[in-house]
Amino acid sequence: MRQAGAYSGLLCGGISGKMGPQALPLARIKKIMKKSGSGEDVKMISGEAPIIFAKACELFIQEITKRSWNITLKGKRRTLHKEDVASAVIATDIFDFLISLVSNSVTAVPSAAATIMEIQTDES
Amino acid sequence: MAEGPASPGGGSHESGEQSPRSNIREQDRFLPIANISRIMKKALPANGKIAKDAKETVQECVSEFISFITSEASDKCQREKRKTINGDDLLWAMATLGFEEYIDPLKIYLSRYREMEGDTKGSAKGGDASAKKDIQSSSNAQLAHQGSFSQGVTYPNTQPQAQHMMVPMQGPE
Repeated sequence: MRQAGAYSGLLCGGISGKMGPQALPLARIKKIMKKSGSGEDVKMISGEAPIIFAKACELFIQEITKRSWNITLKGKRRTLHKEDVASAVIATDIFDFLISLVSNSVTAVPSAAATIMEIQTDES
Repeated sequence: MAEGPASPGGGSHESGEQSPRSNIREQDRFLPIANISRIMKKALPANGKIAKDAKETVQECVSEFISFITSEASDKCQREKRKTINGDDLLWAMATLGFEEYIDPLKIYLSRYREMEGDTKGSAKGGDASAKKDIQSSSNAQLAHQGSFSQGVTYPNTQPQAQHMMVPMQGPE
């Protein structure tokens, strides 16, 4: 019943490269917003909110990518890997909320990684 | 259903971590990886490569970012007894959570978007055919705008202005 949606697929993916400032599908952003806070908290979302997020996510992706790339370069590599993202998250204060998400891929903190891997064994 | 607004963490009968991940469709939890990949590539030099696992990690991080900001904004709405999360709530939440550097670019982006909203209201009829399919009235407007973005009606004119505003001291060239 729920498909990717006529407009998220067609207008965003279909006309690739000609999207203007809206690089991310608003409908999907809205869905992710609705899932926040265990679903009960988020009742209504103004039309403007996903538009703001579309841009904010772009800024966020750019920032996390650049910080990760710096770590790639420090390792004298040319390919950005998951571990670089994880290291960038750990090194950046405002990305603290992502630490539990990335720490299962970091070898630098083996104790934390081990704990998380135990919890998430169903994922592997 | 929403009988206990005082304890948002209380309803843990379907705790997100334990519910079967495979049942939740990827397309509902994440933004499309192609879009994310495109934005990532733009942030790297031309010779930079990105491994698939890095893209997937960033994809997860973005969803987490949306949830993180939304939860904070949602808490604020609850405290103020409002039911709708608006743009200012999100900006406030971002500033509170350490993303104050995003605020100015977002405000510029939003005012540009609002301008365009005024411009395209009359000419948005091109999007009507597809808009009718959508029951949610709130997303109709967005759909129409997306349509006009991809047609490139006003965007090429407005972008240089905004860039100007964001980087006013780029040197004499």
